[in-house]
Amino acid sequence: MRIWLLSDYNHKKHLAFKSMLSRFSVAFPEAEAEFSVKSRRSMWESLFAHLRDPKRNPLADVMEIPQNWTELFSRLGLLAELASKVEPLARRRYPDFILKELCRHDEARAFSAPWWLEAPALFFRPGALEGVCGEPGRELASWEGFRSALDKVSAGVKKRGFRALASPYSSGAIGTADVLPRVWGRRGGLFSDDFNRATFTREETAGGIEDWLELAVSGKIELFSPDRFENGPFPVEQCAFIISSRKLPGQNSRKAAPQSRAARSGQRCAKTGARAARGGAGEFKVLPYPGCSEGGGLALVYNLAVSASSADISGAAAFVSWAMEPENLGPFTESFGVFPCFKASFEELLNGDREAGAYRKIFSAPELMPNIMAYPTAELLLERALWNLSLKIVRRDYDREDLTRELIMAQGEADYLLSLY
Amino acid sequence: MKKTAENSYGAAAGQAFDGGRDAFLQAALEAVSARFMLDGASFYEYDEKNALLRLRLRQASGVAFEHEENLRPAPGSAAARALESMQPASASSPGGRFLYCAFKFDCCDPSGGKNAVTCSGLIRLERSARRRRFSAAEAARADAFLRSFLRDYYRAEYFSLTRKYDKNVSAITELTEVFATALRVRDSFRHILAGIQTYFGFDRVRLYLIDEKNQKLKGELSADIRGQIKSISYEEIPLEAGAHRFADIVLGRSSGAFMERYKDCVLYMPLSVQGVTIGLLIVDNLLSQQRIEPQELAMLKSFGGQIALAVDNARLFDKVEELSLYDELTKLPLRRYFNQRFQEEFYRAERFKQPLALVWADVDHFKEINDTYGHQIGDVALREVGRVILANLRKIDFPCRYGGDEIVILLPQATGAEALRLAQRLSAEISELRIAVPFSKTRELRLTLSIGVSTFPQDAAAIETMLEKADDALYWVKSHGRGKIALYSDLPPANGDKAKPAPDMAQELKTSAAGGDNDAGEK
Repeated sequence: MRIWLLSDYNHKKHLAFKSMLSRFSVAFPEAEAEFSVKSRRSMWESLFAHLRDPKRNPLADVMEIPQNWTELFSRLGLLAELASKVEPLARRRYPDFILKELCRHDEARAFSAPWWLEAPALFFRPGALEGVCGEPGRELASWEGFRSALDKVSAGVKKRGFRALASPYSSGAIGTADVLPRVWGRRGGLFSDDFNRATFTREETAGGIEDWLELAVSGKIELFSPDRFENGPFPVEQCAFIISSRKLPGQNSRKAAPQSRAARSGQRCAKTGARAARGGAGEFKVLPYPGCSEGGGLALVYNLAVSASSADISGAAAFVSWAMEPENLGPFTESFGVFPCFKASFEELLNGDREAGAYRKIFSAPELMPNIMAYPTAELLLERALWNLSLKIVRRDYDREDLTRELIMAQGEADYLLSLY
Repeated sequence: MKKTAENSYGAAAGQAFDGGRDAFLQAALEAVSARFMLDGASFYEYDEKNALLRLRLRQASGVAFEHEENLRPAPGSAAARALESMQPASASSPGGRFLYCAFKFDCCDPSGGKNAVTCSGLIRLERSARRRRFSAAEAARADAFLRSFLRDYYRAEYFSLTRKYDKNVSAITELTEVFATALRVRDSFRHILAGIQTYFGFDRVRLYLIDEKNQKLKGELSADIRGQIKSISYEEIPLEAGAHRFADIVLGRSSGAFMERYKDCVLYMPLSVQGVTIGLLIVDNLLSQQRIEPQELAMLKSFGGQIALAVDNARLFDKVEELSLYDELTKLPLRRYFNQRFQEEFYRAERFKQPLALVWADVDHFKEINDTYGHQIGDVALREVGRVILANLRKIDFPCRYGGDEIVILLPQATGAEALRLAQRLSAEISELRIAVPFSKTRELRLTLSIGVSTFPQDAAAIETMLEKADDALYWVKSHGRGKIALYSDLPPANGDKAKPAPDMAQELKTSAAGGDNDAGEK
């Protein structure tokens, strides 16, 4: 059995899966399982390569995919139906907000099984906000409040290497994962509610994207960061705010995950420095994403799917069922700071978490990206627009008109796509 | 020592060649990690235009993984120095010990361009901060090791390109054959689209043809990435400038930023034969947003002429076939075509024990119409009769101009009563026709039909008998005053035939008396 796992900026995910697979091999010695890690783009290309030439480009038996790829690839005939083969799916043992986007048109069928989820949140170090923000819970609830605090923190600290804001899951350029939480926060989206037209240029959507671009234009976040090339994605000690969809090491109540290499390295530099750099990773507090304090923010769900062309669909589905079991899923999700989708485990973790209050708020009314056929491509269109804009920003050649033009183009393409699919 | 290193690497890389470029890269990173006791190794490609390092593959803690990361080396950093000097450069930081080995070589353009392209990048070898630094000697050895790997990387690229070329050669051969042998419109369009999808595998291929008569661009067929083909005949685009992007392209007016944006994943290919545009072929990768390689574009464009010829040939073939199978005047199938269909329908009726009816109609006094008013008026009369017949039939019915003014209609799954109803409807509608007759006192001509009907299995058990019985019924009508309908099984016994009842007089239609000129008796 071959498994394709989506790559993650946190290598712990890959290692945790490797360990999970070792346990699977011990439990089922007759089942030969191997895995490879693919980037999102590479996974996408592999799926389409299979459609173009199935013999030359076979699919893995089990694949991890973003939940909103399910409709597209099931309609293209690549995914096997799992509702009858995976017990949690058959019994619908997932939170309602996940079930809602599982299979839009047919509740009895499911072509992928929700595995783990994450939700963007704002992390801050109370020490860094002394004299800046009296009531973080209230003042950082809105985007404007957050921006104001960010400006004040940035102005107050001149230490070399210190960044007021870090966004560890960035790939270097601004991507959809960066902007969509803010777009959601402004109640925007890529398509109208009835999915009849693209809404890239709608004020809420364009405004949400612009809010994030503005962080890059004003230098609050660094694009294509050389520092990140040298030190990796986790300079947690050198910043006041982190926008992350993962719980940070030390945030988890059950067991603090070991710090990353870069985090450890950052401690030495930071401890000697400014007020903002005081304390350890555990001092970070979590709040809902600015602008989503009342819930309604974006949650990202990742599913396991079985290839319809697998020679052993039952065996692959059995692995998916096994991977969903709380004792197997728990250690895996815990290793890289995400939540399990399995309802009982999800709720248990939510209630047992030290920051349970914030996460209960975050997950009070989360929304998933729509699982419709054209959505993944629309994300790619936006991604391309953001890439072009990122390059313009680093060249100091960016203008608001560029955003408008890029969004008009992307919207035109997405509308055309809707007319075709 | 170096030789050994190369050998051990070579074995791993050799096995990985067949797995493609990525498997090869993975094997190489694993080999270098094992050889130099690394904690991690990363392969970056350098985007010189944007000064960005793009992570292709990383290997750490025994797991290789792809990851999307585009970062810029800090000016003056070890990575920047390595890229600039093409010499290995090492660095130490609290984050770990790093050795950067840069590479740069010319290779064939993977997108099929004629000129060689420069491929450059960086391999980062990593050790944790607790472990020893990279010494100068170790850096030199690692650099030599990686250079040998890069030679093989070039070979891997070359092999993958060769595989691509092989595929293209077979595409050219087989598609040429498909295009050359495509004859019938419906089949050939399918073959053309299926052929394109087999070898190119676009997200979608669509074929539109110009309907000259109606000045429209009409959708024909669409094939998706799975090769499923469906009709898009519901798509009709007015062939006017500004009416639609496709119309603009066909009219040669398309331009603008939007088209520029599309150029990587959509190809609009007007199909022209001898300088005349006959249609539009559109291939796209819009759903996957994957670039159509320039080589694929060039190849498909080179096929454009052949595709256009194949499409045009198929249309001509259909036209010729239509001329040989259909009567140009009445638009009804000809006798040869009818005989073929009659056999098929008769066989089906026999096999599935279904009724079958045959209607034989004759335009009353047609010879006199020709003689009196000329053949032009006779042709108009026949054309009108054909139009009324075609407008009144079900899809499964099959009419035919059997000869002269004789028209035969095959009615699958119809009983005698159903055939009579149709015959009555035809008679009634035809009697309503008014054929203008210039330079005549009456100024118009009216028509009537004499109709005989036979049925299977009641009247006949063979094709020839069925025709014979319908003809007998028609003869009976003609010899009893014309303008009527007779079902063979209702005919009275005559000439020693078995006794038959007289036809139901209710079926009789009055011979039109209004058009005095057509009262002339048939000679």
